[in-house]
Amino acid sequence: MASLIELQGITKDYGKFRALSDITLSIQPGVTGLLGPNGAGKSTLIRVLLGLAHVTCGTGHVLGIPLGNQLPRVRSLVGFMPEDDCYLHGISGVETLQLAARLSGLPSLEALRRGHEILDFCGSGQERYRPVETYSTGMRQKLRFAMAIVHDPQLLILDEPTTGLDPEEREAMLNRVRILWRDFGKSVLLCTHILPDVQAVCERVVILAHGAVRVSGSLEDLRRTAVPSLSVTVGGDIEPLVTELAQRGLAAERQDGRHLRVAGSAELAGQTLWEAAAATGCIIRGIEPARNSLEQIFLDAVGEVRRANT
Amino acid sequence: MPIHDPGYRNWQGHTTPAASRWLVVAETGIQRAWRSSWLKRILLLAWLPGVSLGLLVFLYEQMQAQDDVSSKAIQGVVLNVLEVPQSAREQFRDFGGVLSRRNLSPGEERHLFWSLLLLNLFRHSQPLLLLQVVGLIAPPLISQDIRSRAFLLYFSRPLAPLQYILGKCSVVLFYSLLITLAPALLLFVAGVLLSPGLDVLAATWDLPLRILGAAAVITIPGTLLALALSSLTTESRFAAAGWFAIWIFGWMLRQTAGLFSAAGPDSLVWNLSLFHVTTDVAGRILDPNFLAPGFGFQVVLLGVLCAVSLAVLHRRVCAPLQV
Repeated sequence: MASLIELQGITKDYGKFRALSDITLSIQPGVTGLLGPNGAGKSTLIRVLLGLAHVTCGTGHVLGIPLGNQLPRVRSLVGFMPEDDCYLHGISGVETLQLAARLSGLPSLEALRRGHEILDFCGSGQERYRPVETYSTGMRQKLRFAMAIVHDPQLLILDEPTTGLDPEEREAMLNRVRILWRDFGKSVLLCTHILPDVQAVCERVVILAHGAVRVSGSLEDLRRTAVPSLSVTVGGDIEPLVTELAQRGLAAERQDGRHLRVAGSAELAGQTLWEAAAATGCIIRGIEPARNSLEQIFLDAVGEVRRANT
Repeated sequence: MPIHDPGYRNWQGHTTPAASRWLVVAETGIQRAWRSSWLKRILLLAWLPGVSLGLLVFLYEQMQAQDDVSSKAIQGVVLNVLEVPQSAREQFRDFGGVLSRRNLSPGEERHLFWSLLLLNLFRHSQPLLLLQVVGLIAPPLISQDIRSRAFLLYFSRPLAPLQYILGKCSVVLFYSLLITLAPALLLFVAGVLLSPGLDVLAATWDLPLRILGAAAVITIPGTLLALALSSLTTESRFAAAGWFAIWIFGWMLRQTAGLFSAAGPDSLVWNLSLFHVTTDVAGRILDPNFLAPGFGFQVVLLGVLCAVSLAVLHRRVCAPLQV
């Protein structure tokens, strides 16, 4: 499968400050989460992808188009939803959308029709006829999303698309992202701080910290633990079981009052686990392969950098 | 909820040429500016001088038909109300009588009179109204875009900074030309239609070109300056204050400089008034006999102003965007 975004050794300096440091990255079609703490370089990376910032060194391609070349073509194929408001004073939501579509090359009447269609898709009602400055945060968020997709781009770059949305709207927004990828093949780069959003819709993640890529890969692969282990849900007192497992030579780590992580695969540790449970009278309610949480992956990636810095 | 909701659909249609995207910026700006009721009032007011001068054209044609009342009326207006260049003042003293004795052909006489009307239109009423119109529409054009981060709306799409600047300039130029070029051209057309025959065109063919030149001189530098000011701030009121301050203080400096004979027409102090510089150059373009001391220097000054304004505008528009 051809890469959607291919970056090699991208470095971006602002004076003496290095915002991106030797970024080498390959993003495949699909929904990819772009994560990183504040100041990690996510916004700079977006600017580089959109051609809004020139790179200090390095090369790359976006949708097969070399970085810095054919910017109008890249921008007509990419839909960008910025984190902050961007609108014109005094014009309504549908007019804003019509303007966005026309700037992307849609004829005037077609832009208006498409604008209404996209606003319907985004669940916007009659508020579309009101000036944008009177919109609530949620309405503005939907309008920004609509502006990003109005010209039917191949790649969507969404910067914090669910910030400020209530749980129902947040779920609806994520659902739209799913529909766009699943039914229409639109690739999405989702830049967010909300890890459950990434877990809900992304297949791959890229974690940036201090301007460098720390983690990149499939979410499924990243969540697999390095050493095979089991996540065990226990009913009753957990402490005797931990002691019994230790005596039988199995390392067991207590997660909370009901969960244990036991080193070893189901084939190797399963039998011992059942025997220990029978011996201590513990009830085992569930066994499944242990997985790293995204939060753990994120903290590990960012923590690694912090530890290196200190 | 919509009655018919087809959901998301791919769009496959023909896109407009990339080179015409600035028209979208211009059209949006023109429509947004038109929503101001003040702009509509000023535009209405801006057409009154043109209509008044149109009446003079009518009276002039009546005078040609040996109407004494028209002759006296037109003489009174020309000598007491309008600005008449020193070189032409003598010719207008006994309007209708002296002209014929000086062997001016009817075509030459019309050319002289129409030039006088256009000179007054471009040197007095319209620049003052232009100041108001530009001061009303230009300050928010870029400053509001910076403030509301609308730059991202424009530049995350296939639109080049120069197209953006061109679109914004077109908004100001559209309204500026509506109150300068349009009334002047209509005055010319009215004159042709009211004259006895179309042979008048042979004598006055150069006037439309002169009108174009004069309109360009009084609109383009002002447009670029106003937009440069707008790009320097996120508060449109500061841009508006700067715009009016430049004109008012420049005018006051010129008046003060006039009191001191040491400051000649070629001095910078003498030419700090944008109002005087643009109207002098426009006057010279409309009437080559118009006395405009320091014309060359003034043209250079306007050129420098345009170049600096454009450079500021380009630099501000191309400044790094906050994503």
